[in-house]
Amino acid sequence: MEKFLLKNIENPDSADINEYLKAGGYKSLSKALGIEPKDVVEEVKNSGLRGRGGAGFPTAMKWKFAMADPKFPKYLICNADEGEPGTFKDRPILEKNPHLLIEGMLISGYALGSEFGYIYLRGEYPDANDILNGAIKQAYEKNYLGDNILGKGVKFHLSVHQGAGAYICGEETALIESIEGKKGQPRNKPPFPVNVGAWSMPTIVNNVETLSNLPYIIEIGGEAYSKIGSNECPGPKLFSISGHVERPGVYELPMGISLKDIIYNHAGGIKNNAKLKAVIPGGISTPVLPPDSIDCAMDFVSMPKAGSMLGSGAVIVMDDSVCMVKVTHRALKFFEHESCGKCVPCREGTDWLRKILERMESGKGTEGDIELLLDIAGNMSGKTFCPLGDGAAGVVTAMIKHFRDEFEEHIKNKKCSLADSY
Amino acid sequence: MITLTINEKEVTLDKPVSILEAARQAGIKIPTLCYHEALKPYGGCRLCVVEVERMPRLQSACTLMAADGMVVTTESEVISKVRRGILEFLLINHPLDCPYCDKAGECELQDLVNKYGPTVGRYKEEKRKVPESHKDQILARNMERCVVCTRCVRMCNDVQGASAITIIGRGDRSRMEPFSSASFNCEYCGNCLTVCPVGAILSRLYIHSFRPWQVDKEVETICSYCGVGCSLVVQVRDDSIKRVIPEMGLGVNKGLLCSRGRFGYEYINSRERLKTPLVKKNGRLEESTWSEALNLVAEKLSEIKKGEGGSAIAGIASPRCSNEDNYAFQKFMRMVCGSNNIDSVSRTGFAAAQKFFEALLGQGITANIIEGLKNSEVIFVVGGDPTSVNPILGLSIREASRRGAKIIVLGNAKGLDRFKNVQVIPPVFKDVDALEELLAGVSRVKGVRGEKLDIDQGIRALSEKYSEKMSLDGLEELKYALLDSPSTSIVFGMDLVQRANGHRAIFAVAGLTYLLEARLYLLSDRPNEQGLIDVGCVPDMLPGGRPLNIHDFKTKFETAWGGSIPDKDGVTLLEIIEGARNNDIKALYIMGENPVFNLPDGPFIKDALGSLDFLVVQDIFLTETAEIADVVLPALGWSEKSGTYTNLERRIQLQKKAVNASSGMEDWKIISEVSGKMGYKMAYSEVEDIMDEIAEVSPLYRDLSYREIAKGNCLWPYHGEPLRGEIHELPAMAESAGNYGSDFYLALEKPLFHSGTLSRRSQALMKICPEPTLKISGAAAEKLGMQDGDRVKVSTSTGSSEVSVSIDESIKDNRVLLSNNFEGRGVFSLLTYKLDPVTKAPGIEGCEVEIQKG
Repeated sequence: MEKFLLKNIENPDSADINEYLKAGGYKSLSKALGIEPKDVVEEVKNSGLRGRGGAGFPTAMKWKFAMADPKFPKYLICNADEGEPGTFKDRPILEKNPHLLIEGMLISGYALGSEFGYIYLRGEYPDANDILNGAIKQAYEKNYLGDNILGKGVKFHLSVHQGAGAYICGEETALIESIEGKKGQPRNKPPFPVNVGAWSMPTIVNNVETLSNLPYIIEIGGEAYSKIGSNECPGPKLFSISGHVERPGVYELPMGISLKDIIYNHAGGIKNNAKLKAVIPGGISTPVLPPDSIDCAMDFVSMPKAGSMLGSGAVIVMDDSVCMVKVTHRALKFFEHESCGKCVPCREGTDWLRKILERMESGKGTEGDIELLLDIAGNMSGKTFCPLGDGAAGVVTAMIKHFRDEFEEHIKNKKCSLADSY
Repeated sequence: MITLTINEKEVTLDKPVSILEAARQAGIKIPTLCYHEALKPYGGCRLCVVEVERMPRLQSACTLMAADGMVVTTESEVISKVRRGILEFLLINHPLDCPYCDKAGECELQDLVNKYGPTVGRYKEEKRKVPESHKDQILARNMERCVVCTRCVRMCNDVQGASAITIIGRGDRSRMEPFSSASFNCEYCGNCLTVCPVGAILSRLYIHSFRPWQVDKEVETICSYCGVGCSLVVQVRDDSIKRVIPEMGLGVNKGLLCSRGRFGYEYINSRERLKTPLVKKNGRLEESTWSEALNLVAEKLSEIKKGEGGSAIAGIASPRCSNEDNYAFQKFMRMVCGSNNIDSVSRTGFAAAQKFFEALLGQGITANIIEGLKNSEVIFVVGGDPTSVNPILGLSIREASRRGAKIIVLGNAKGLDRFKNVQVIPPVFKDVDALEELLAGVSRVKGVRGEKLDIDQGIRALSEKYSEKMSLDGLEELKYALLDSPSTSIVFGMDLVQRANGHRAIFAVAGLTYLLEARLYLLSDRPNEQGLIDVGCVPDMLPGGRPLNIHDFKTKFETAWGGSIPDKDGVTLLEIIEGARNNDIKALYIMGENPVFNLPDGPFIKDALGSLDFLVVQDIFLTETAEIADVVLPALGWSEKSGTYTNLERRIQLQKKAVNASSGMEDWKIISEVSGKMGYKMAYSEVEDIMDEIAEVSPLYRDLSYREIAKGNCLWPYHGEPLRGEIHELPAMAESAGNYGSDFYLALEKPLFHSGTLSRRSQALMKICPEPTLKISGAAAEKLGMQDGDRVKVSTSTGSSEVSVSIDESIKDNRVLLSNNFEGRGVFSLLTYKLDPVTKAPGIEGCEVEIQKG
């Protein structure tokens, strides 16, 4: 398949605006500025583009909600707080193809009538910060950003806001709180950010990859775009593959490709021909899949049927040297650390789950611990303020569902049989 | 109209509210923990989750707005399990120290667990440990008990506006901490205490001293500190005050309190309270008996009246005493001593301003509801910081700001620094000129109203005095903010009344009030300044604000009281003092006041009072004034007696007795005893009889009774007749003063934590603010080469004092400020005054001061 999102990234100077222009960059912007904003939205609607951040919400629908709100200014925020463990799909765009993102934001800003954009960047991406700021500077110099873009009377200003390392700030309302200078904690919804977002104004938060798809949609047209990949969720998709595969990395593949295909063809199969034990298909918050469940289409609609979710498309592959109790413990350590503390079930539940798993992994598990873990997870799931707690509970439930014997073994043998394997 | 179904019950709502509120309206209780009626919904505890048809997840009732057609279930198997689960989560790291925790018995967590919670624990892991913090003198923090509901933080940020505390850390490391770290650096309102549902924040005033169920009496009363008149509840055990708490939604304060109101009650149990009457013998005050002391007072006053005439006797009443005390006092002075020389320290501010305002704009001009401030579009603050003088009124201004009102400030108002939109700080002692200039500017655009010819004329004169171009930066902006406002409130503090030409400030504010049809609020730092005027403790007016020089009024009172009232108006406070110095006044009766400390030029005041033939002081402490008295009579204090107060919005409220005093007598009772001994019987058997008499004789209080007052809505003009009629001729306005070119000028600071005589005997307030500091600007500190905490000697023409300096960046001119709250170190002992010819208030202006490193 022809690459679009990762086009040209082999070029060491791909982040430079001149290289981007040479490769045909900013042409979609000119094209978009030549048509009415509502027609741009129509193209996006026809493309069937869904948000790439994890929830898969139809992008054009989100835009329309914001456009229906009469308040101005409207803010466009690019969510570049890529923090989900296993996920690094946006990083090549941010570091290698920043102008693609800028062009996407410009198209989006024009369509939405937004004149101010922010890129909320993961704090642990310092290089991307420099690269993005360099790219933004170049874009201003070439009049792709400013008060009169390309002489068309269109205004758009863009700046980068660096996060400070909180996972929760990837949640859009917490992200907005953080941009406003407050502690990153999710807000009540409704009102939704499309109506009451940053500084109480209509705010559209889109993922890096989502926005980066826009130039392509404008270039080839919504209709043509909608023919790529799955019917219900078309388009190219970035998959970040990590763990026990021969060729970990970021792959641009059509939406709906089989998980098995990704692992065995594109990523070169399991490392050292070891035995596959488990796959987390969409980042740590998505339920784990056992080897017999990986023949599934990777898109937002198909994955729930297979018992998991597409999430961010971060595929974590584990061979049989991996202890699943330890993985669960490590995941919960992450969630406990990242729980913002706003709601009780997440704040206390992640801590409790983590402590039990820690005890189990160190051989101090007792009878009834598995039921307790499931019960705690049940008391969290669906009761937390935001999906962070659901994710934490989901990891425990799925791990026990598929690997219960391993948990039981830990309790019975009073130790982890794989403790020394890595 | 919204109709929804909750637990199969149809609920109809007039306006959109949350499911929680809708359920409450329908009498269905949903358990909550992070929800608080005074705060915005948070949705953190998840206890209030409910099932809503066609919604995928459980919804938190506090954050979900009710919508037409919703079908809600608040109790089910699933919901019960969730609530049990939530409570279990809250308990796993909780220390479960109820037997030791002060909150037990009134702990929301304890109650919830009792009702919904698990009966056994399943937690086998180690609990989080956070040591209890006692680093603060007033507030103890136990973060193991904290449920991170953030009610304290939301109260502090969103209601109090102090933003002093926050939740630090994340996830299970979350805990409340002041930004100032270990101890609090805040306004000490303690409103965080009110909203804490558990024992995480506790007051060290009563920690481990009683259990909530041991309270044997709760008395709803009124605070004794300032003119706002906040409602509070005094909790008593074994005849001693254990705690003062507010009640949500109650009174002017609606459940909020300030540091003085909440923590300042301990003076009542001070060991320094007067226990017996004292009589001066051989130059020394000695313990005496009531009969000896009262006989002596009656004898001496009768003797002086007989020998020198009633005008040689004067009385100083008290804005800390009740309407009843003050009424009895003025009646005693007029009928028994035959003197109209009655005034109070309120003459230094409130009474002086009130009189001139009413003369200009009519009686009742300042009777505006504090709550109304919240709905103003523009609030103009001048002459002081409302958040320290009248903290709860200050909160209404902050609230208005949050609602989008423009807050404009002339001069300093530190507590509004984060809320103001425009501020103009005039050069030192030029605020009055700035005010006049502002009025001239406003009238130039708006014209005059043509309703009050004298005021119109006065305004025109100002338009001629000031040129069109404003002399100060920002004044123009301030002017247009006022002109563009559809609804303006003016909050006037007493700082500008205490100027040599304070009457000009009052006229300018009155002019603005008149032109802009604004609501006027006078700040009042004592609880009953208004009431004291209303019951006649002024030299020229009888109760109800009836002028003494109108014959009809006088004869009416004479008939009612059965005797004759002297014809001539009496003299005002500082004229009384000066009269004492000149030997025109021979005897002075002081009720509940400490002029030697509370009036400027302390040494002069002391000297003047020292030259009296006879000085009686009735008070609860041996004050600086009582020390030089011939007879000292121990009175009762707040919470030991009942009575009424009239607050600055002219609301009359009941102050109730909560405890029995071990010694002392009600002020009115002492007065009536002396009166009886002097041959005039006051037939009051209890305090309510006095109010009944006031209602009978004063046209303003017609038909008023304790029963009526107890309803809490006893508002101006009651059922009475306000007096209509205004000034006929403007008094001559003083010229603008010259420039002040000295390095530093000393001025009065009105701090948040103290009031003076009472607050300095309240241990908690002394812990919060243990000693006076000289507030100097950053520029002054630099000029003097001084740092925070340096000891300095402050010298003026009247004396000197040693204090430490504290740098206050809100001071922008060359004034240095010192409070008048601490024994021996009050600023009034260092200041001289010049009497305002119109208001007779002492003007404190241009007091040069020398500051040397000590």
